[in-house]
Amino acid sequence: MQRKTHNISRRALVAGASAGTLALASAPASAQRCPPAAPRNKGPLVWMNLDQQDLDEAYDQSVYAFNQRFIQERRDERNELMAKVLGRPERVAYGPAEIEKVDIYKTKRPNAPVMIFLHGGAWRTGRSAQGAYLAEPFVNAGAHFVNVEFNNVPEVNGDLAPMADQCRRAVAWVYKNAASFGGNPNALYLSGFSSGGHLGGCVVITEWEKFGVPRDVLKGAVLGSGLYDLKPVRMSARSRYVKFTDEMEQSLSAMRHLDKVHTPLVLTIGTLETPEFQRQSHDFAAALAKAGKPVEIIVAKGHNHFEMGESLGNPYGIMGRAALAMMKLGNV
Amino acid sequence: MQRKTHNISRRTLVAGAAAGTLALASAPAHAQRCPATPPARAKGPAIWLDYDQHDMDEMYDQSVFAFNQKAVLARSDANNVIATAAIGKSERFAYGSDPIEGVDVWRTKRPNAPVLIYIHGGSWQSGRSADFALYAEPYINAGAHFVSVDFTNVRETKGDLFPLVDQCRRAVAWTYRNAAKFGGNAERLYLCSRSSGSHLAGCVVTTDWDKFGVPRTVLKGAVMGSGMYDLKPVRLSARSKFVKFTDEMEHELSAIRHIDRVHTPLVLAIGTLETPEFQRQSRDFAAALTKAGKPVEVIVGQHYNHFEVGDTIGHPYQLIGRALMKMMNLSTAA
Repeated sequence: MQRKTHNISRRALVAGASAGTLALASAPASAQRCPPAAPRNKGPLVWMNLDQQDLDEAYDQSVYAFNQRFIQERRDERNELMAKVLGRPERVAYGPAEIEKVDIYKTKRPNAPVMIFLHGGAWRTGRSAQGAYLAEPFVNAGAHFVNVEFNNVPEVNGDLAPMADQCRRAVAWVYKNAASFGGNPNALYLSGFSSGGHLGGCVVITEWEKFGVPRDVLKGAVLGSGLYDLKPVRMSARSRYVKFTDEMEQSLSAMRHLDKVHTPLVLTIGTLETPEFQRQSHDFAAALAKAGKPVEIIVAKGHNHFEMGESLGNPYGIMGRAALAMMKLGNV
Repeated sequence: MQRKTHNISRRTLVAGAAAGTLALASAPAHAQRCPATPPARAKGPAIWLDYDQHDMDEMYDQSVFAFNQKAVLARSDANNVIATAAIGKSERFAYGSDPIEGVDVWRTKRPNAPVLIYIHGGSWQSGRSADFALYAEPYINAGAHFVSVDFTNVRETKGDLFPLVDQCRRAVAWTYRNAAKFGGNAERLYLCSRSSGSHLAGCVVTTDWDKFGVPRTVLKGAVMGSGMYDLKPVRLSARSKFVKFTDEMEHELSAIRHIDRVHTPLVLAIGTLETPEFQRQSRDFAAALTKAGKPVEVIVGQHYNHFEVGDTIGHPYQLIGRALMKMMNLSTAA
């Protein structure tokens, strides 16, 4: 322990001492902090080995990704280009509310598979239009790309349930209406990132009978950097804008409804993400595997949270490659 | 000037005052430093534009302006492992007599296919041609062969860049004469490079090809990312500790001084988060080419740093990858 401890923060040591394999992951994650974490006296532990500040930071991506702003600006620039390359998507209602619409980017291939996408943004921000750049690799590879618009949590009084409901209804709508845009209803796939990964988790545990669609409506899902147990999230600063209740925590923690999963899952996570985000995916994958559900976890070295999200728009990036492989589409 | 000057370094102000448009470029580039604002220091005498020795050393040291250098390289390594698993290892051909004088070829299935020749970066000090499956994969899938050039490094040549340049030139000439060996179309050779590899590529596109027995238009196009085309300021920087610059080297291997020899349409790529000097090098080279009536385009990656620009070679929908697919008239559509 003597050697090189001078450039390991106290927090990393504390985490390393008890969290086992996660220690390896948390050390490089801290390397994405700028400025690095200052030494401080730790408060009482509130979750695992995390005190309140640790937990707040573990659910605040900006702390662990100094380049958040630049990656988002890169995305915006690509979206502008998409208006010229792909043109505007067809925007169709899946529900009665104004916001309940899907953006459909059509491929030329007939009876094509469909990738449905749920955006992230800490449930607080994000609009489907910001994901335009994600469509191009799928459209070129021969799949339709359907980007779901849904409410952000400040618009629904801090309640996540309406958002999960919107995402579920959007999937059911795509199943029932795929033929209207040249899609194959029996080849629907799902992807989600960050808080969209959480909502994707809720979608794959849906009781589809209530929506009038088959249990195996989704043939596969790639969920990136998601949240599958809301308990620690509820204890973090995110509870300032999400009005968690016991019922919400229970019904929207996918981890607690493994029996309802009828979709093969691929979970992706970057080694430079916050230790809690890494743990969420690892624990969900372990629980699914234990329950005998088909699941694969892809751990991507050298990627922080936003770099993982960006990789969905790249057929040779971690998420893009995983999604195309799942859909049995070529890497083009 | 009163407002907010507390978080603008004296150096930015100085640079901004004199360098004009570069001030815009240097401000976000600083944001990739950690800490973003370097500690205040007394500036020494200016030795190049408005830069003192300390500035110049930093301008040619990517790690200063890219806090996440190690992370991007780790990411590339991880993606390279995946790409290698997908497309397999390369086939090695010798273009010269020394063991290092070889090219690593990943073949496309398409017959008589165009060929993309790649010259790697690494400050002239490091890098091996076999390590670029992650760049090869998009092109072989899109229908082009990928030829990655191996060449010696400057530590092995006692600080001399000439042997590196000569090797890259010979590798291109070899590819022209031997393309048929791996199913390539000799009349459709293209070049791609990044960082110090783009300096070498700048030398390649200013080659006197008659001496190599190949046509002047041997290269149908080149996309060069984040290169150096005038060695004078580089010579003034700390890079002179490992490159033994001479007047002859500086002159002969500064592409900007041999524009008349350019017979290849060029695309120069830079990121707005790169060091101000690296941004200037590409812009000045492009301006000189344009003035001489040579076909050139600058493509600017907003919010990409030096390593992130290079990363886009392996991304058909991002900066360099998109430009290459377009230049080679390759389609990513199924």
